[in-house]
Amino acid sequence: MSVHAPLRLGPAEATLIAQLTAAGAASEAERLAGSGLPTRRVEAYHYTDLKQLLRMVPEPAGPPVAASAPALRVAGAFQLMIANGVVEGHGTAPAGVIVGRTKGGVLSTRDDVVTRLNNALVGESLTLDLEGSVDPVIQIDRRTEGPAGHSASAAKIFVADGASVVILETCSGSEAAHLGNHATYLAVGRNARVTHITVNLAARAATHFATTEYHLAEGAYLRTLAINAGGALSRTQLFPRFEGKGASADITGLNLVGDGQHADITMDATHAVPGTASKPLFKSIARGRSRAVVQGRLVVARDAQKTDAKLMSHGLMLSDEAEILVKPELEIYADDVVCGHGSTCGQLDEEQLFYLMSRGIPKAGAETMLVRAFLAELVDPIEDEALNEALTAVIEEWLAGGSP
Amino acid sequence: MTTPMLEIRNLHVRIEEREILKGVNLSIPKGEVHAIMGRNGSGKSTLSHVLAGKEDYEVTEGQVLLDGADILGMEPSERAVAGLFLAFQYPIEIPGVATMTFLKAALNAQRKGRGEAEISTPDFMRAVKEAGKALNVDSEMLKRALNVGFSGGEKKRAEILQMALLKPRMCILDETDSGLDIDALKLVSEGVNALRSPERAMLVITHYQRLLEHIVPDVVHVFSDGRVVESGGKELALELEQKGYAGFDGEKAA
Repeated sequence: MSVHAPLRLGPAEATLIAQLTAAGAASEAERLAGSGLPTRRVEAYHYTDLKQLLRMVPEPAGPPVAASAPALRVAGAFQLMIANGVVEGHGTAPAGVIVGRTKGGVLSTRDDVVTRLNNALVGESLTLDLEGSVDPVIQIDRRTEGPAGHSASAAKIFVADGASVVILETCSGSEAAHLGNHATYLAVGRNARVTHITVNLAARAATHFATTEYHLAEGAYLRTLAINAGGALSRTQLFPRFEGKGASADITGLNLVGDGQHADITMDATHAVPGTASKPLFKSIARGRSRAVVQGRLVVARDAQKTDAKLMSHGLMLSDEAEILVKPELEIYADDVVCGHGSTCGQLDEEQLFYLMSRGIPKAGAETMLVRAFLAELVDPIEDEALNEALTAVIEEWLAGGSP
Repeated sequence: MTTPMLEIRNLHVRIEEREILKGVNLSIPKGEVHAIMGRNGSGKSTLSHVLAGKEDYEVTEGQVLLDGADILGMEPSERAVAGLFLAFQYPIEIPGVATMTFLKAALNAQRKGRGEAEISTPDFMRAVKEAGKALNVDSEMLKRALNVGFSGGEKKRAEILQMALLKPRMCILDETDSGLDIDALKLVSEGVNALRSPERAMLVITHYQRLLEHIVPDVVHVFSDGRVVESGGKELALELEQKGYAGFDGEKAA
């Protein structure tokens, strides 16, 4: 028998319920009214207690008005835009890229409030069929523009067998307390190679939710880098599923948090078939009064023998008031696997700092060198030069103290 | 009388409650190479760290003058700009920083600190190549992360390469012979000897006489219990080898 204390709904929950009802999602509204937003008692939200952290939800975002400057420009990229949840027009697509729209959300059903809200509130989704290798970087530029607004956006991407593509997604918008909830469904075909980068450059007052679901077919290779640099409250969810033999991925992520920010990267990976490999690697740098969260879960199905998975998390604390919270979870049902996890957290190494300074490099310069060195492992593997430069610029701006 | 390159006056240093240096006096004129010999734990390495400006040490008394200017109030980087260089006993590994990138950053930081223009990339490449040739440091090694996965010999050669590039006025070599086989020792010593000049002074810290056969000092100081207990010519090193430290400080061998 379980005892339920009467659930008290806060203003954020009340607004969400009203918005769900208005959007015709009565059952989701009812469900949220019954459960409320997740608290720390919900394992997946242990360090990101949405009931506490999400104080209010703005009105649904209106039609997009004048757009702000692009958050990130990559020379030669093919640009697509979703503004306030609306899929905008675009230039001529490169060969092999078919752009379309479809009604409704893209994420698979999951017991997760961010996923459910997105699926219920997305009006139309962007669809991308990548029929073969595409040379230019494909950028999906997601914006929340105008006064503070709640918007949900979604994209569904299919990468054909054997294709090689680089996809960049950026989230940004006007300086207001928006709530942006963004979703991506990305299916990687047999032996295809995909690099998928997401950069959260949301306004400093904004709440940013992003969920990406990956499906990897036989022999597929995926490299991801999810960067949280913006937003007051950010939650980036990565749900990779290894569904074909020999599929492998380097799932990487980076939290860059400063004063007043809370950023969370939560990964839930499923190795569903034999012979797949993943190397999730997450890093966090926290300064000022801030909090970075990394949760990583590896699930290995009963049949998924010979799974090779290693989850790592490294934290760098640049102030005494910063917090970095890390939680690995391994759920292994197969008996012939190599799975592990590890984590480090600390400050800059005094010996290394002294060594650099003893060669004439001033303290601030030496610190920057060491922070860059800490991040090199994530950025160096991004082969596209223009993209690598753009990401380096995001990181440099953060290091220089500029708020994104 | 000309100003010595390095002058240490009555230097007292402690870590927490323990006094390590108990009144060090030392004067090294320009153009000379001095050696400090002492047993393990005598405070030799502490002296080198204090000179380079490492934190964690408390100077309670005394002065350190580099070419007449007191450096104890300076940051380690400012001391380097002023011309001081410490070749580390254990060079620090820095993953993620390519050796080449580091060398250029260090060289330019020093030039900037002295109000000079940055070095051009071709000039820099030429300088590194030239310095590297004599020390058998190839471009493959320079592409690797700083000191990461370097052998003992490679680390020491990389230290001397830095010294050759940065052209310090005062070089301190802390146990540069440790971890070197005889061939590596020769190579490193030749690199050091090539840098001897009338405008440069060196302080070679070691506890074996072996290194001083290759880098022949002008003056040898015996260090014991945090101070210099005896000074003499290069023959003092041989005498020390025969009599042992106990012959100088009266203590039993550790």
